[in-house]
Amino acid sequence: MATASPSVFLLMVNGQVESAQFPEYDDLYCKYCFVYGQDWAPTAGLEEGISQITSKSQDMRQVLVWNFPIDVTFKSTNPYGWPQIVLSVYGPDVFGNDVVRGYGAVHVPFSPGRHKRTIPMFVPESTSKMQKFTSWFTGRRPEYTDPKVVAQGEGREDENTEAEIPRSTWVCLCPIPALMLSFCPQ
Amino acid sequence: MAEVHVIGQIVGASGFSESSLFCKWGIHTGAAWKLLSGVREGQTQVDTPQIGDMAYWSHPIDLHFATKGLQGWPRLHFQVWSQDSFGRCQLAGYGFCHVPSSPGTHQLACPTWRPLGSWREQLARAFVGGGPQLLHGDTIYSGADRYRLHTAAGGTVHLEISLLLRNFDRYGVEC
Repeated sequence: MATASPSVFLLMVNGQVESAQFPEYDDLYCKYCFVYGQDWAPTAGLEEGISQITSKSQDMRQVLVWNFPIDVTFKSTNPYGWPQIVLSVYGPDVFGNDVVRGYGAVHVPFSPGRHKRTIPMFVPESTSKMQKFTSWFTGRRPEYTDPKVVAQGEGREDENTEAEIPRSTWVCLCPIPALMLSFCPQ
Repeated sequence: MAEVHVIGQIVGASGFSESSLFCKWGIHTGAAWKLLSGVREGQTQVDTPQIGDMAYWSHPIDLHFATKGLQGWPRLHFQVWSQDSFGRCQLAGYGFCHVPSSPGTHQLACPTWRPLGSWREQLARAFVGGGPQLLHGDTIYSGADRYRLHTAAGGTVHLEISLLLRNFDRYGVEC
């Protein structure tokens, strides 16, 4: 049987980073970026973005709303390396420095249609109490040099994270009409 | 050859009495399966819940298998450990679950167990820590020799796994 030539398929992601709940923090903004394997490439749209700074609502819900659009299309020949979206949330601390409040990552949904996802966020923890105090004082918290590390499985053994301080709700509405066309060519 | 993509996340763990948990995971398959891309095992970071009791890892899993037979369908297995403030690790639970066999996204909750020892070992574990562990990791996902163990329940590991299958219809397997 002749070997099939690789078939290219498109994955279109339309959606938004809707809102978040961080009980302890306010005035936050978020950055998103995509991490994907070698067989994937973005063909349209932006693969990174920074949102506005938002404050908590005054009502009982105490929710931070960004309503930040995500619009990107990928093309690939192989599901391995399926794109993940990595979110990093930043905000001011007591002294006014911009510090990281949470990182989170999730795979882009696998099937066409509308999906709503809530992702937990975590922050790296200082290794010693002294470092914890110094980082609180100077505003230089432990942070990842490249947030894309959050989407990778290897090398996480040496990290300590402070769990999901807040359970950040991330809601993404992602209709994906053009997905997985003729993945199995004959 | 038929191909299977297992893509998803180890979301986290709940219901463990210890906090500051991490998980060593692995995937075991039969002899007819070949791993084309991805890592077969890994370890998550240590996570300490600040709110609630669920530790979140969000550890990505992305595996691409090729297979000639259905025997030895992949099984994910976990060892959940807790780490205290001195950096010592203690076993919190072992668990396994089969990778689902229908395409689509699945939410899995995998229960865990840990071996109890004699009453002396249980007392020592309560005061000093440590406790019995399995010598051979394959007891986690195989049924042989389980009758020798006396275990207690641990918490639950939560996963979200999506499955993509390819070429199974060529071999007469409906999915």
